[in-house]
Amino acid sequence: MKNLPTKFPPLAPALGTSSLTLLFFLVLSFSISYSAERTLIDEVKREVTFPFPPKRIVSLAPNITEILFSLGLDEEIVGVSIHCTFPEKANTKVRIGSYIRLDFEKIISLNPDLIIATGAGNTRDMVDRLGELGFSTYVIYPKNFSDILKNIAHIGQVVNREKEAKGIIEGLRKRSERVIELTKDLPRPKVFIQIGETPMVTVGKGSFADDLIRLAGGENIAGKEKEVYPRFGMEEILKRSPEVIMISSMNPKGDYQKVFQEWTRWKTLPAVKNGRVHMIDSDLIDRPSPRIIEGLEEFARILHPETFKK
Amino acid sequence: MKIITPKKVFTISIFLGLLLILVILVSITLGSVNVPPFRSIRILFQSILGLKGGGSDTERTIILSLRLPRAILAGLVGAGLSVSGATFQALLRNPLADPYILGVSSGAAVGAIIALLLGLGTFSFGLPLASFLGALLTILVVFYFGRQDRKIHPHTLLLAGVITGSFLSALIMFFISVSRREELHTILFWLMGDFSFSNARAILIIFPYILLGVVLLYLRSRHLNLILSGEENAIQLGVDVEKLKLISYLSASLITAASVSACGLIGFVGLIIPHSVRLIFGPDHRLLIPSAALLGASFLIASDTLARTLLAPVELPVGVITAAFGGPFFIYLLKTRKGIKTL
Repeated sequence: MKNLPTKFPPLAPALGTSSLTLLFFLVLSFSISYSAERTLIDEVKREVTFPFPPKRIVSLAPNITEILFSLGLDEEIVGVSIHCTFPEKANTKVRIGSYIRLDFEKIISLNPDLIIATGAGNTRDMVDRLGELGFSTYVIYPKNFSDILKNIAHIGQVVNREKEAKGIIEGLRKRSERVIELTKDLPRPKVFIQIGETPMVTVGKGSFADDLIRLAGGENIAGKEKEVYPRFGMEEILKRSPEVIMISSMNPKGDYQKVFQEWTRWKTLPAVKNGRVHMIDSDLIDRPSPRIIEGLEEFARILHPETFKK
Repeated sequence: MKIITPKKVFTISIFLGLLLILVILVSITLGSVNVPPFRSIRILFQSILGLKGGGSDTERTIILSLRLPRAILAGLVGAGLSVSGATFQALLRNPLADPYILGVSSGAAVGAIIALLLGLGTFSFGLPLASFLGALLTILVVFYFGRQDRKIHPHTLLLAGVITGSFLSALIMFFISVSRREELHTILFWLMGDFSFSNARAILIIFPYILLGVVLLYLRSRHLNLILSGEENAIQLGVDVEKLKLISYLSASLITAASVSACGLIGFVGLIIPHSVRLIFGPDHRLLIPSAALLGASFLIASDTLARTLLAPVELPVGVITAAFGGPFFIYLLKTRKGIKTL
């Protein structure tokens, strides 16, 4: 019902890439009768069939939106979630609801040929419901830094921008390897990341920020906690005495002073004593998009200022 | 007290039934996507007549796969919760009683959490089943503890229910705070009530329970009146009081279990609709039960329509609307109609 096969010139974009892809396409096009559809297995092992290349894409999460824009799909993106505020151009797209409550009507009215969702945030029910309504949904599921590179590669493949994806991944890999290389022999300071004020919530094993701390040459004091976002009492923080404290904030310029003042009460903490309490933009450390590399470099600068002084 | 005749019940039911149809029609014309009202209604009637057309494919999907199932489910749940609330208020002889008071909802939530932990939960399949089983188990446990000498005592039942509910709520909070599985947090949204996954299957699953419950309770409505004037009175008039209490407890609980498993918790409907109907039409159950069902259905459909359109594309939890609009309206009724005995 939602497939509009005749709209898309079959094969045109694939011609001239390589004989192997050409062969692949020929086989594909015969098997599904010229409809230029493609069937791929997504990151949660579902089979997804959609018109290739997709011309009307809906993104259900900010990281997906950022990846799509970085691949230059400004025209193809027709709908984004209300959380998608980066890049600036995302604000001109139709909003299709929040992470947790989709506006299915809006999605139907956009008539997308492909929806991209994330396993980390969107629920299986949403994807099932979209399927019931006749839409194909490709699901990515990033769990750590290196998964993000995979996400970009997969999305590149899905939207026919493999070359652009490769370029971005190469850049990210180079920059992250530089950070890892420079920090690997340095002492690893103990880090506490504060992501919530009341109650005090931090990042445990399995979170992106935890992965970034490790890659940037630090040691997360909550890195062995099984919960992704464990709650931490002040006593526990004092006991584990972090040498660096980072306050993750949606608005780094916001109430920095107030949260900072709170910390100055605990003068015995090495981080407070040595003036190593910092703010960091939460979008850069918890959003699995290409921008996470900036978060990684920022972490490295905070953890090892002498090495990364510019 | 006003005299209730079958004719009066019939007339009021017809009137409220027309109101319900009107609310459904308005609800399917409203949404975050603008489909012209007449086209929406044309699409609906064409499809009732088995015809295609009336609008574009997109519009048909929006009306027939989203708005209509949602309105029907909200209507069923609204009717069920209102009747169940009215019954609990009579059975427990407590004006504060609502469908969730005896812990059925907490039992449903624990069932849902277990389904999520075992990895078989989605809103469309495993979760409703598991939450229904959890609710049924709670109904039996509360029934077992709430009886003394093989008799239901309203206060014992109430205490048993409230305590079982609190215990299960503690269990829910415990699971949510210790589990590292993020899916569990979806339970919180489920607890707020959500109609956005409504489809034909959900409607078909809960319809029999709600219909059965409401019909059983309606057939006992004369006896429910008698029990309110005192159990001894009722016994003297030949009512099998224990059987009546058992049937009303089980029917009301089943209705609640079915609606919780379909759409989570929707507060306030089961409390204020029965009371409002009592204030408007009087406390006779022969009129109270059908009017509460019809008015409850209209009220929840209207609330859900507001919830999905007010801040579109962001959808509000429907409980926010039921409380925000229902509360003041109820206070208004209470103030202007204070002459009428509510229970």
